[in-house]
Amino acid sequence: MKKLILIAAALVFSATLWAQEPLMEKNLAKLPAVTIQTLDGQPFNTQDIQNDGKPIIVSLWATWCRPCIAELMAIADEYEDWVEETGVKLYAVSIDDAKTSARVAPFVNGKNWEYTVLLDVNSDFKRAMNVNDVPFMCILNGKGEIVWEHTSYAPGSEEEVYEILKQLSKEK
Amino acid sequence: MKKLLQSVLLFLLVAAAWPAQAQHQLGNSRISGDFGFNGMYYIPDSLIGADAVDSKVRANAFLNLLYSNGGFSAGMRYEFYQFPLIDFEKLNYKGQGIRYFFADYKNDFIQVTAGNFYEQFGNGLTLRAYEERQLGIDNSLLGARIKITPYKGIYLTGVWGIERLNFDTYVGRRDFVRGLDGEINFGEMIPKIAEKGFVFNVGGSFVSKFEKADEEINVTVFPGTDTVRQAVIATDKIPQNVPVWAVRTSFGYKGFRFDGEFAQKMQDPTVTNDFIYRKGNALFLSATYSMKGLGIAASFIRADNMDYRSQRMMKTNSLLFINNIPAINRQYSYQLLADYSFASQPNGQIGVQLQVNYQIPKKSKIGGKYGTDLTFNFSRFHNIDRQWTPEAIALGTLSGTDGYTSNLFKFGPDLMYQDIGFEFHRRLTKKWELTLAYNYITYNLELLQGHEGIMRGHLVAADLLWKVAPKHALRLELQHLYTKDDEGSSIYGMLEYSISPHWFFSVGDEWNYGNPDKAHKLHYYNIAAAYVWRTTRIALNFGKTKEGILCIGGVCRAVPASYGMGLSVTTSF
Repeated sequence: MKKLILIAAALVFSATLWAQEPLMEKNLAKLPAVTIQTLDGQPFNTQDIQNDGKPIIVSLWATWCRPCIAELMAIADEYEDWVEETGVKLYAVSIDDAKTSARVAPFVNGKNWEYTVLLDVNSDFKRAMNVNDVPFMCILNGKGEIVWEHTSYAPGSEEEVYEILKQLSKEK
Repeated sequence: MKKLLQSVLLFLLVAAAWPAQAQHQLGNSRISGDFGFNGMYYIPDSLIGADAVDSKVRANAFLNLLYSNGGFSAGMRYEFYQFPLIDFEKLNYKGQGIRYFFADYKNDFIQVTAGNFYEQFGNGLTLRAYEERQLGIDNSLLGARIKITPYKGIYLTGVWGIERLNFDTYVGRRDFVRGLDGEINFGEMIPKIAEKGFVFNVGGSFVSKFEKADEEINVTVFPGTDTVRQAVIATDKIPQNVPVWAVRTSFGYKGFRFDGEFAQKMQDPTVTNDFIYRKGNALFLSATYSMKGLGIAASFIRADNMDYRSQRMMKTNSLLFINNIPAINRQYSYQLLADYSFASQPNGQIGVQLQVNYQIPKKSKIGGKYGTDLTFNFSRFHNIDRQWTPEAIALGTLSGTDGYTSNLFKFGPDLMYQDIGFEFHRRLTKKWELTLAYNYITYNLELLQGHEGIMRGHLVAADLLWKVAPKHALRLELQHLYTKDDEGSSIYGMLEYSISPHWFFSVGDEWNYGNPDKAHKLHYYNIAAAYVWRTTRIALNFGKTKEGILCIGGVCRAVPASYGMGLSVTTSF
C-alpha cells in the first residue's frame, strides 16, 4: 500500500519534471512520418503536412469527442480571419476508426469546415505523436517544427492559438 | 521480486527523465513518450452498491517511450496495474511489466515490424488488433509484420503473432494468428482515375487462427429440463485452424462514396456460439454523400456467428478478439444514456444507421450570423433470424451441430436497439452558444444486459455556453431522461467553469428520482478540478459513480458502482 503511494508520487514527480522542460528550445521536434489517409482514402504521409513556410495547426479529433468539435467549431468562426492575417492552414486529423470513419466526410461538410481533414483509422499517428487523449492540438512554425502543443479544450483557448500564430507570422 | 520491480521502475524513471534533461532531438534521432496515472481512493457505500474493497487505494499507470531515427523506430510501454482500479480488476487486467515493445523499419517500398503491433484489415471484419485503454482492451499481436508496396497503388500486408491476453506472459500459449491482406488503389495506380474525381479500391484479406485441440469439450444437452445431460465433443472434431476471409471495395465520385465488405468464417465451435459448426458471415455497407453544408451517411451491418477469438473457451467480454464487428450506431456522450448504449453483437445483429448533418448558412435570415447546425439520426438494430436445424431440434442442443439456418436479409424477431434523434446547435451571439437535443431510445435489456424488459425513454438535453469574459467560460449541461422502465427517470445537471487554457472546475449531480424502489432514488454527485499545462493534465475528482456500462466505439464493459476520490495525471513529452 505504502509502496503504491510512493510509486505514484515518483511517477507524478517525474511527470512534473517533463512538464517543466521548456518547449521553446533549439532543435525542435518535427512531425513523425506516418502513413494515414485522405478523406478519399488515398494514402497520405504526415510529413507532407506543409504550408509553404507559413504556420500550421494540427488537431487530433474524433466525431464522438464533444470538446474536440467545440474547439474546431470555435476556430471555424474565426478561421477566415486567421488565414487572411497569418496564412495558417489547419489539418484536422480524425482518429475515428472503421465504424465511424465513413461519417467523417459528411460530418465535416455538414459543419462547413474549411480544414484539410485526414483519417488516422488505426491510431498510428496518434501513437507516434504520443497523444493520450483527444482533443490534442499542436502548432508548427514555417520550418515545420512543433512550437506549441496542448491537450483538452476550454472555451477561449483558441485566443492563445491566435496569439501564437500572429507571433509566428511576425517572426518570419 | 519486489527488488526487481523497484529497480525496473527506477530504471524507467531515469530513462524517461533523461531525454527531458537532454533534448528531444539529437541529430536525426528523437525520443518521445507519454505517461498516464489514474488513481482512486475508495469509500464503501452500500446504498449505491459500492462494496468495501480489499485495498482502498488503487491505481493504473503506464509509460510509453518511443525512439525514432529516420525510417527506424522502436518503442515500449511499461504498465503498472498491480493494484488496478476495481473495474480493471474485474476484467482481470492486473499485473505489471512490459507487454508492448517493438522495433520497426520502413522505407518507400517495405515496412518491417518485430514485436507488438496493432493492425487492421479493411473494416476490421477479419482482423483488428487495437487498443482502447479506458476499456482495458489491448489485443496487440506479438510477432512480426511486413508491409510491401510493390507497385504504385498496391499494398500487401502479412502478419504473424500471438494475441495479448492482459498480463499473461505468452509462455505456454498454444494459439496464434496469421493473416494476409492486399489492396489495390486504382486512383493511385492510374492517375487519370483520380484526376477525374473517381475513387476506386478493391481489397481482400485472409486470416487464420490456430489453437491446439487436445481436450474434449463437455456440453450440456437439454439445459433446464428433466432430461438434462452432458455430451462430449471429441478432440478430433474440434478444428485447430479456423480461417476467415473477406473481400471489400470502395467507390467514390466527387461527394459520393460507397464502401462494402463481406466476410466469411469457417467452422469455429466456441463457447460463445454454443459450439456450433455453422459458418459465420458478416456484411458491412456504407454510403455517404456530402457537399458544403450538407452530409448524409447511411450504413448497414449484418453479422452472424462472427465472434472470432484466439481461444475457443474464452467468453470474457472484450478479451482475445481477433476481429471487430463495428457497432455502427451513433455514439453519444450523454451521462444519462451511458447505461443504454448499444454494444456490437458479433454473433447476431442486423441493423441500419442514417445520419444527416445540415448547416443553415451563416449570415442568412434563419441561419443567423454564425449559422445553425442541425443533425438528424436514426438507428435500428435487431437480432438475426434463426431457425434451429432438424438435427439441433432432435438433439435438444445447438452444440455439436450446424445450429441454425438464417435468412440473410430478414430482420430477427427482436428489436435490440433503436435511436431517433435531433440536435440543434447555434452560436447565438459572440458570448452565448446553445445546443439542444432530443432522442427517443429503445433498448432491449434482456438481449443486451441479460435482465428482463425493454427500456423506452425520451432524452432531452441542453448545453449552454456563456463566455463570461475573455478566457472565462461557464457551461451548463442539463439532461432529463424520462422513462417508466428499468430504473425509471433521471435528471442530470452539470456546471463547469473554465479559465482557459489552464483551469477547469465542475460540479454535477445525477438524480435517479424516478426509481421504482424508493430507497434507490439516489443522488450521484461529482466535484472535479483540473489543471492543464500544454500536454500535461492533472485532475482531481470526488464523488459517486453509478453502476453502469462504459462504452467507447460500440465496445462496452461494466463499471461497478464506486464512491471516492480520484487523481489522474497524463502527460506527453
